[in-house]
Amino acid sequence: MQIQDYNMPDELHYEENHYWVKQEGDLLVIGMDDFAQKMAGEIVYIQLPFEGKKLKKGKKFAQVESGKWLGKVYAPVNGELVESNQELETNPALINSDCYGAGWMYKVRPDDLGEMGDLIQGAAGIEKWVLDDIEKYKQD
Amino acid sequence: MDLYKLGKVTWEESQLLYHALAYSGKEALVLLSPSTPYVCIGYHQEADAEVDLSFCETHQIPVFRREVGGGAVYLDGNQFFFQLILKRDNPLIPLRKEVFYQRFLEPVIDTYRQVGVPVEFKPVNDVLAGTRKISGTGVGEIGDCVVFVGNLIFDFNYEMMSKVLKVPDEKFRDKVHKTLQENLTTIRRELEPKKAELWNEFNLNDLLVSQFEKMLGDFQEKKVDESLTSKMDEIATRMFTPEWLHQKGKKQIGRQVKIQTGVNIVQKMHKAPGGLVKATYEVREDRLYDVILSGDFFCYPPDAIGLLETKLEGVHTSELQTILERFYSEQEVETTGLSISDWMMVLNA
Repeated sequence: MQIQDYNMPDELHYEENHYWVKQEGDLLVIGMDDFAQKMAGEIVYIQLPFEGKKLKKGKKFAQVESGKWLGKVYAPVNGELVESNQELETNPALINSDCYGAGWMYKVRPDDLGEMGDLIQGAAGIEKWVLDDIEKYKQD
Repeated sequence: MDLYKLGKVTWEESQLLYHALAYSGKEALVLLSPSTPYVCIGYHQEADAEVDLSFCETHQIPVFRREVGGGAVYLDGNQFFFQLILKRDNPLIPLRKEVFYQRFLEPVIDTYRQVGVPVEFKPVNDVLAGTRKISGTGVGEIGDCVVFVGNLIFDFNYEMMSKVLKVPDEKFRDKVHKTLQENLTTIRRELEPKKAELWNEFNLNDLLVSQFEKMLGDFQEKKVDESLTSKMDEIATRMFTPEWLHQKGKKQIGRQVKIQTGVNIVQKMHKAPGGLVKATYEVREDRLYDVILSGDFFCYPPDAIGLLETKLEGVHTSELQTILERFYSEQEVETTGLSISDWMMVLNA
């Protein structure tokens, strides 16, 4: 789904800091959405924490850097990190070039898949959320 | 907003204070400079890969990892630092990073202009006097705050900066030194000596405060109190440890030193079937300059490598493949076990 300049697939779920979440079996795949990667500019570093790290919903669990800006990655659900995309270690700009594909970031085993229900989802919900953010930052 | 106008402080305090304010969720502008030099690396860097730690140890130059982006820098008392701590939900913070820098560098740019140094903003986060950088900046999301740090560069020790960096060889260090001098300037260099003498840390900071006030409103001057000191002590127990300094960072392929946006000194090595290939060069706005090629591969005639270096001068990275193909087709050159794709491995920074 295209919302103004941003490609926001409506089959994905989203965390409010603009990370997408997709269910794959009993795991969740997480990545940065198109809106966030465009706001960030070229990603130069993404922290890939150790497998087994416990994630607490809404809390920082990794860092991401673009343009000398060290930002945070927030956990969309409670769970455990089971895999990080090692390709990003040498080529973090994959997040810019293919944020929903080769630029995926983490795989997480959620404590409760039901928490997916708390994320932003559905075409209407995603559109409203993105348009609100565009409005909020239109002075940019 | 609170203002901490501290002048010279210990290098430890110069780093701990803004971390402490951010972790305490307190908005403030801090102006200070370190009483002794030190090296500060970016959060994502590997200390051992970026900094000549044995040189620093011998010369008693401490090394510190900040919770802010960017690269390794040599910091001393001739660079006057500002540290702006804002809560994450401060409405002045735009979402687009480039806009943030443009907005919050305005007071810095206006200060330089008032001093008599005409400067311009260059995206993403550079302040340039002509083509030379004159302020280093970075941002970190620390605690529930966004911290913007940067400096007014009154003077700069180019030699020490090039000495504290880890480099593959002395030629590379010389190149870093020369490129730094060409691409980084200071208030002292930009002004006539008599005009430069008029400025010091205190009157420059006064100007900076008045410029930031236009954006942030009046400041209330504060002293570092007990609660902040205790927060700084707490942070020190985490950030002044070998574990913190030596934590794993970004993996580097070859060695790359960023001088300013769009200007990098690069050295890359590649093991080709015909032997090791090494290339050292400057990349400026995606073009290669001062290319030095070497290795232990066979090449006939022997002076062909010198010719290739000349052919690569000023070449845009997008044209590399074509230039290499033309070189091999036009010259009678033989490089056994070394093909264009091997050259591309070391030249495509």
